[in-house]
Amino acid sequence: MWQAIKSVLAAFLGVQKDARRREDFASNRPGTFIAAGLLVGLVFVLLVAFVAVLAAR
Amino acid sequence: MASHLPPKPTPQHSTATAGGMAEAGHARPRGLMRWLLTTNHKEIGSLYLIFSLTMFFIGGIFALVVRAELFQPGLQLVRPEFFNQMTTMHGLIMVFGAIMPAFVGLANWMVPLQIGAPDMALPRLNNFSFWLLPVAFALLLSTLLMPGGGPNFGWTFYAPLSTTYAPPSTTFFILSLHIAGISSILGAINIIATILNLRAPGMRMMDMPLFVWTWLITAFLLIAVMPVLAGVITMMLMDINFGTSFFNAAGGGDPVLFQHLFWFFGHPEVYIMILPAFGIVSAIIPTFSRKRLFGYASMVYATAAIALLSFLVWAHHMFVVGLPLVAELFFMYTTMLIAVPTGVKIFNWVATMFRGSISFEPPMLFALAFVVQFTVGGFSGLMLAISPADFQYHDTYFVVAHFHYVLVPGALFAILAGAYYWLPKWTGHYPNLRLSQWHFWLSVIGVNLTFFPMHFSGLAGMPRRIPDYALQFADFNLAASMGAFLFGASQLLFVLVIIKCVRGGEKAPAKAWEGAEDLEWSVPSPAPLHTFETPPDFHPHQH
Amino acid sequence: MRTLLAWIAGGLTSVVLTPVALADGWNMPVGVTAISRDIYSLHMIIFWICVVIGVIVFGAMFYSLFRYRHSRGAKAATFHEHTSVEVIWTAIPLLILVGMAVPATATLKNMYDTSEADLDIMVTGQQWRWRYEYLGEDVAFTSNLGTPREQINGTGEKGEYYLLEVDEPLVLPVGQKVRLLLTSDDVIHSWWVPDLAVKQDAIPGFVNENWVRIEEPGIYRGQCTELCGKDHAFMPVVVEAVKPERFDEWLAERKEAAAQEASSADREWAMDELMERGQQVYGSLCASCHQEDGQGIGNFPALAGNEAMLDDVDWHIDRVVNGVSGTAMASFRNTLSAVEIAAVVTYERNAWGNESGDSVQPSEIAERLADQGE
Repeated sequence: MWQAIKSVLAAFLGVQKDARRREDFASNRPGTFIAAGLLVGLVFVLLVAFVAVLAAR
Repeated sequence: MASHLPPKPTPQHSTATAGGMAEAGHARPRGLMRWLLTTNHKEIGSLYLIFSLTMFFIGGIFALVVRAELFQPGLQLVRPEFFNQMTTMHGLIMVFGAIMPAFVGLANWMVPLQIGAPDMALPRLNNFSFWLLPVAFALLLSTLLMPGGGPNFGWTFYAPLSTTYAPPSTTFFILSLHIAGISSILGAINIIATILNLRAPGMRMMDMPLFVWTWLITAFLLIAVMPVLAGVITMMLMDINFGTSFFNAAGGGDPVLFQHLFWFFGHPEVYIMILPAFGIVSAIIPTFSRKRLFGYASMVYATAAIALLSFLVWAHHMFVVGLPLVAELFFMYTTMLIAVPTGVKIFNWVATMFRGSISFEPPMLFALAFVVQFTVGGFSGLMLAISPADFQYHDTYFVVAHFHYVLVPGALFAILAGAYYWLPKWTGHYPNLRLSQWHFWLSVIGVNLTFFPMHFSGLAGMPRRIPDYALQFADFNLAASMGAFLFGASQLLFVLVIIKCVRGGEKAPAKAWEGAEDLEWSVPSPAPLHTFETPPDFHPHQH
Repeated sequence: MRTLLAWIAGGLTSVVLTPVALADGWNMPVGVTAISRDIYSLHMIIFWICVVIGVIVFGAMFYSLFRYRHSRGAKAATFHEHTSVEVIWTAIPLLILVGMAVPATATLKNMYDTSEADLDIMVTGQQWRWRYEYLGEDVAFTSNLGTPREQINGTGEKGEYYLLEVDEPLVLPVGQKVRLLLTSDDVIHSWWVPDLAVKQDAIPGFVNENWVRIEEPGIYRGQCTELCGKDHAFMPVVVEAVKPERFDEWLAERKEAAAQEASSADREWAMDELMERGQQVYGSLCASCHQEDGQGIGNFPALAGNEAMLDDVDWHIDRVVNGVSGTAMASFRNTLSAVEIAAVVTYERNAWGNESGDSVQPSEIAERLADQGE
C-alpha cells in the first residue's frame, strides 16, 4: 500500500522513474492504486482547505 | 467532417466469414435507412462530424448576428430581447452541438482504429446516442419560433432569470438539454467500454495513444457530471411547472445553489471540451516532428490531474457572488494549481519539437497555432484565478476573450488539426494543400482579430452579454466584428477542402504521414468499412 | 539563439505591450481606492509573469521550429523523457504560484473586512435600475438610465457618457468607509464600478457586503455586470464622490425633500398634476417593459385598452403595489411613494386612449399601504 501511495504521489507531480512505473503497471491489482488515489486525493483537498482556513484567520 | 461513404469492404480487411459483423449475412439497408440504422463506428463517426459541422455553422451565424449588432454603438439590427436569445443559443449550440459532438465523432472514428478494435463495444447504443442529437437540437432551435422566443438567459442559464423570469419555451429547452445529456452519457459509456475491453492483444494502458487516454478520462468526466446537469435542469423544471422553490428566494429557495450545481457540472465540462484536444495535438506534434512524444507518462498523469482538479475549482466562476472568505481562498488556490499540469503539457509539446525534424503540413500548422493560442488562453486563465483581480475581470469581455481563446483557437483548432490529420485516412486523399493553407492563415488572422481586442475592452470595463455599449469600447468592437466575419467566411474554405478531398485529390497511402506511428496508419487509406476483424500485431514502443 | 530571443522579446514588448501599459482605456484602471490600486498591481504582476513565461516558452518553440526544420535536413533526436527537467518545470511554476498567492490572499482579506463602516448603503437591483437607501437617514431613491432613447436608437447624436449616465447618481463622501449592502428584488444583478474595484452580485433573498473608501472627489461610472434580462445593458451605476461637508449638505436637502413628499400625500391632487407626475414615473419605471405607448412587448402585457385593469381600480392598484408573483411584474410598495403610486395608476388609466376618468388620490394609497403594512 505504501508503494501505491508513493506512486500516486509521483503521479500527482506527474513525474515517475521509468522502472518504477513498469513495475506498477506489471501489478494486476488496480484496486490498491484506486484506493491510494482516493486517499491521497482526499488528503490533498483537506490540505488545501486547511491552508485556506489558516490564511483566512 | 468527411461526408463520404466509406467504401465497400475490401478483401484484406473484411471477410464475410469472419463472423464478427452481424450484417455480413444480410443485405445492407440503402439510402436513408442505411444511415438511420448503421451500427458501424466509421459511419456513425462521420454522422457525428457532419452534424457538428452543421451546428458549427448555425452557431456561427448566431455569433455573427451578435457581432453585427456590436459593430457600432447603438441598437441597429436587433432588439435586446432577440440579442439575448442569440448569445444564449450561440453558446448552447457551440458547446453542446458543435465542440462536444465533434470530439465524439473523432473518438468514434479513431479510438477503435487506434486500439486495433473492430468497432465500438456497443454498436447499437452508438447509433442511438447519435440519433438523439438531431432530435435534441431540432427541439432547441424550434424554441426560437415559439411565443416569447427561445432561451434568453445566457448559456449558463442562471436562476431565477431562467425560471421565474424565463420565456414559456424554457420547458422545451430543458427537455432538449436532457436528451443531449443522455446522448453524451451513452456515448461516454460506449467509449469507456471500448477502450477497456477491445484493445489489441499486447496493448497495455500505458501503450495507448494519448488521444485514447484523454478520451478515456474525458468519458469518466462526462459520466460524473452530466447527471448533475440533468439534476439541476430538473429542479428548474419543477420550479417552473410544479410550484417548487429550489431557486426561488420568495419561496425560501436559493439562487446561489443553482450556480454551485451548474458549475459543478460546468467546470469539468470545460475540460471535457479541451482534454481530447490535448490528445489530438499530442498525436500530431510528434508525427510532424518525427520524434516521439516527450514525457508520455507525465502527459497521462497531467491529464488525470487536470481531470481531478476540475472537480475542485467550480466556484472560481462565482468569486463575486459573496462566498465566504475561506471558500474564496480555497478555490483560488486550487484554480492556480491547475496551471501546473497544464504547463507540463505545453512544456512537453515544446520539448517534443526540440531537436526534432519539423515540417509544416496543414495538421501541424493548426496544432502549432493551438499550442500558442491555447497558451494565451491559459495565461488569461491564470490571471482570472487571482480572486481579488477577478473582482475586476469577472463578467467582462476579458472573460469572453479568455474562454474563446481556449475554445476557438484552442479546442476548435485542435478539431480542425485532427480533421486535416485524419482526412487522408477517411477519404483516401490528401486535402488540397493550397486551400488548406489559405484556410489556416485566414482563420488565424480572423480569430485573433476577433478575440484579442476583447482583452482590452474587458479590462477597460465592458461587461459581457450587452447589445449596446459605451463609446470608449467602439474601436475594439469594430475590430472584433470585422475579425468575426473574416473568421466565419474562411470556414467556408474548410467545407470546400472537405468536398474536394472526398471527391478526389492526391492519393494517400496507408501511412499517410511520414512520422505517423499509431495503429490507424496500418490500415489502408481510405479505411475500409470493417477493419481489424482479426486483431493486429501490436508492438509497443518502450514507453 | 540569443539574438533571436532578444528580437522576439523586443518585438513583443514594443509592438504589443507598450501601448497596453501606457495607453489609457486599454488596461484596467488604477482606480481611486487603496483596494483598487492593490488589485491593479496584482493584475500587472501576474501579467508580467505571464509575459516572461510566454517569451521563454514561445521563444523555445519558435527557435525549435526554425532551427530543426525538416526542409533544412534536420535529423530527429530520439530522447523522449528526462526526469530532472520534468521535475524542474513542474516545481518552478508551483513556486511562482505560491509567491503569487501570498499578496493575493492579503488583498482578499482586506476586501472582506467590512467592519467599522461610517455609512451603510443598501443597494437593491431591480429590472433595470438601481435603488439606493441611506440606512438610518430616511433617504432613498432609484437611479435610472439617463441616456435618452433617441441616442440608443440612432436618431440622436450620442453624448460623451452614452449609457454611462443616470438621472440620480449615488452620492458618497470622500475619505469615509462606506459599507454597501447589496440585494435584489427580482433576478441577479451585479453592481460594478471599475475605478472603485467593487463588483458584487445583488441576489434576491441574499444580502451581500462590500465596502469602499474613495480617496478623490469625482464621478465614477460603471454598469450592471450580470445578465438580468433585456435591458441589462441599460442599467448603469454612477457614483458621485464629494467632500464630507458637501455630502452632509446634500443629505440634509434630500431629507427635507423626502419629508415634503410624504406630507404632500395628505393633500388633494388635481387630475393634471397627477397625470404629469404619473407620466414621469411611468417613463422611468414602467416604459421599459410596457413601452412608452402602453402597447407592451413580448411577455409584457399591453396597458392601453387593458380591460381587466380598466374595470377594477383596486385590482390595478394591487398589481402595482404588490406585483404579480411568478412574473417580471415587481412590487413597487417600497420603491414608490404614495404620491407616485397614485400618479402612475391615474396616468395608466387615462393615457393612450384609456378614458376611465378615474383619479386616484395619494391619501387613498397611503391609507391602503398603512392597512397592508399591519
